[in-house]
Amino acid sequence: MLQATVPSTKEHNVWGGGRSPYNVSYGKMMIWFFLLSDALTFGALLISYGTRRFFSSVWPDANQVFKSFPFMGESNLPLLFVSLMTFILIMSSVTMVLAVHAGHYGDKKNVTKWLLWTIIGGIAFLGCQAWEWTHLHGECNGLWGAFTDVNTPVSAFSGFFDMHKESVHQVLANHPVIAMESTHQFFNFFFTITGFHGAHVTSGVIFNIVILINVVNGTYQKRGHYEMVEKVGLYWHFVDLVWVFVFTCFYLL
Amino acid sequence: MSSHSNHNVSVQELYEGDQSKLYSGIMAHHTDLNSTESKNQVKKIWKVFWILLVITLVEVIMGMFLSHSMPKALVNFFFLALTVLKAGYIVSVFMHLGDEFKGFILTVLIPLVLFVWFIIAFLADGGFWLHMNKTSPARQHIEKVKE
Repeated sequence: MLQATVPSTKEHNVWGGGRSPYNVSYGKMMIWFFLLSDALTFGALLISYGTRRFFSSVWPDANQVFKSFPFMGESNLPLLFVSLMTFILIMSSVTMVLAVHAGHYGDKKNVTKWLLWTIIGGIAFLGCQAWEWTHLHGECNGLWGAFTDVNTPVSAFSGFFDMHKESVHQVLANHPVIAMESTHQFFNFFFTITGFHGAHVTSGVIFNIVILINVVNGTYQKRGHYEMVEKVGLYWHFVDLVWVFVFTCFYLL
Repeated sequence: MSSHSNHNVSVQELYEGDQSKLYSGIMAHHTDLNSTESKNQVKKIWKVFWILLVITLVEVIMGMFLSHSMPKALVNFFFLALTVLKAGYIVSVFMHLGDEFKGFILTVLIPLVLFVWFIIAFLADGGFWLHMNKTSPARQHIEKVKE
């Protein structure tokens, strides 16, 4: 992996200064390091969710909590809406990569086009997330600090659990407070983690808009390279990646 | 717009000035968006998109229909494996990490692999605490609130 420490006749010593040993620019490398730190932050949040969940004897079932779809009223469509959200975000990742690809070839027109689609995808995702939040709060009464009143009737939260499991049924019948506590924690974690992720999507959309304006103004054409598009693309893909893990932890596992 | 001519300007001047010329190998200024090379790269991008879509669909179908009939540990293993697979594709192809120098790839991946150890440790901790609370003789006198 490391080049020879004795400088060859053709190249400088790779680690001798004056060049990037990994042949990657400072800006791009630092974006990667920032993404690593952000990955650890999200990881910490997801791990604390997992630990709390493993610590509970019962936990809300994703298939029960997330079964609504916009404009479909009372129909029972578990996980369909969140699959749509995942699809939208992955699509926007694809358009982002196509923008970066166009940037490698200095094609301003296509960079503009694909970056615009990425921004639209991001806004669509945020809209979906906003609907999900509004629905969970309006229909299920979920939010930070919900389900803490011991006098809450069991019917308010029993719908979140998989009643086919005997152990779950037992707990809800004998010690419903435990189920309520789990529901409370579930919503705390859900809104925190998806909120933190949503903030990243929002900032990603804003960054993309700023870079799009720069592209349209010809800043990068003048500079001679579209590396800024690539760097902001890395952030966008990271946002997509985090969603893939959040989706798995909250909706699948 | 190729800038491979580093010979008339010293590396030092480039390092302190317009750094883009230092990395002309990576930010190579190709000119033809319609070349075969370019078209192949685009094809690869769309191929990975379809792979990601299929994996996601498999995950959702599993989650909706199969998760209740299979042992939980197996289902979870599948979900995690598929998720890591998706992540691998996104990182190596979409984020172009697969095209970087091996040293740089390791710089990014090794901390994340160690992070997996972190995940396992904490989840095991949570599970252990539950087991401990249920079975510890020291807690037998507490009314079994956690069943």
